[in-house]
Amino acid sequence: MEHISIEATVLFYVGPLPVTNSIFSAWVTMVVLVIGSILATRRMQLVPTGLQNFAEYVVELLLGVCETTAGPRGRQFLPWVATAFLFILFSNWMGLLPGYGDTPWLRSANSDLNITASMAIIVFFLVQGWAIKTQGPARYLKEFVVPNPLHLLSELSRPLSLAFRLFGNIFAGEVLLATMAALIPLAVPAVFFGLEVFVGIVQALIFSMLTLVFLTIATAQHGGEAHH
Amino acid sequence: MPESYIPLAAGLAIGLGAIGPGIGIGYGVGKAMESIGRNPEISGTILVPMLIGLGLAEAVAIYALVIAFLLVGRI
Repeated sequence: MEHISIEATVLFYVGPLPVTNSIFSAWVTMVVLVIGSILATRRMQLVPTGLQNFAEYVVELLLGVCETTAGPRGRQFLPWVATAFLFILFSNWMGLLPGYGDTPWLRSANSDLNITASMAIIVFFLVQGWAIKTQGPARYLKEFVVPNPLHLLSELSRPLSLAFRLFGNIFAGEVLLATMAALIPLAVPAVFFGLEVFVGIVQALIFSMLTLVFLTIATAQHGGEAHH
Repeated sequence: MPESYIPLAAGLAIGLGAIGPGIGIGYGVGKAMESIGRNPEISGTILVPMLIGLGLAEAVAIYALVIAFLLVGRI
């Protein structure tokens, strides 16, 4: 059985920066999403059909969740939450295709801690940025002191847990699939592929929902909101 | 000599680390089942929050698994 390593294999270097097979897979996911979006929005009709219809369904679903959780500001969170959800979902599901894991050029993007950690770090700065923007710098800084002196610790633990949760689930899934395929090469691995399909969408959902929840908490105006 | 304890440590890490999340997930799903039993219409509304809660509980087990991997990979 080939050795599965936590570190992704480097394909080539752009100057001093290594490009790994997981980064390349992330690019492939991006290409798929961009081309899909272009195809869905060419010659848009008022009454949508086909791919545009499906794309509108997905966007409306995500918009509904954002607005249910975050209220009217949910509309502004939608691009971030939807991007996280779709990127993670497509990366996870495409990682189950033949070629990912057994060829050295492709590796499920989220099975590399670098990619999940970078998304988590972006979410961290995003949440802090939104907090400063909506609460103002004074109230933002006060949060670190007044009701909860461990606020800083909880804010720092969030990107850590986001990164490791996604990485752990997807990487462990890769190890599980490789192990099962090596152990029983016939029929049984199909069950585990099914499990990984489920895990893929659940983890995408969890990452994006947690991002949404963190954003909602950070921008919540305590007391006296003018609603409806 | 201490290096020979690494496989044991890895096994213990994931073994013990999975106890808590296992109990937590079972408890959470049990409560969800109970609430669906009281009110069957709510099963759609309960699904997403339950999955999110399970994901958070399972993350703790994943942390233990990552430590086991790091141990086997000899940090």
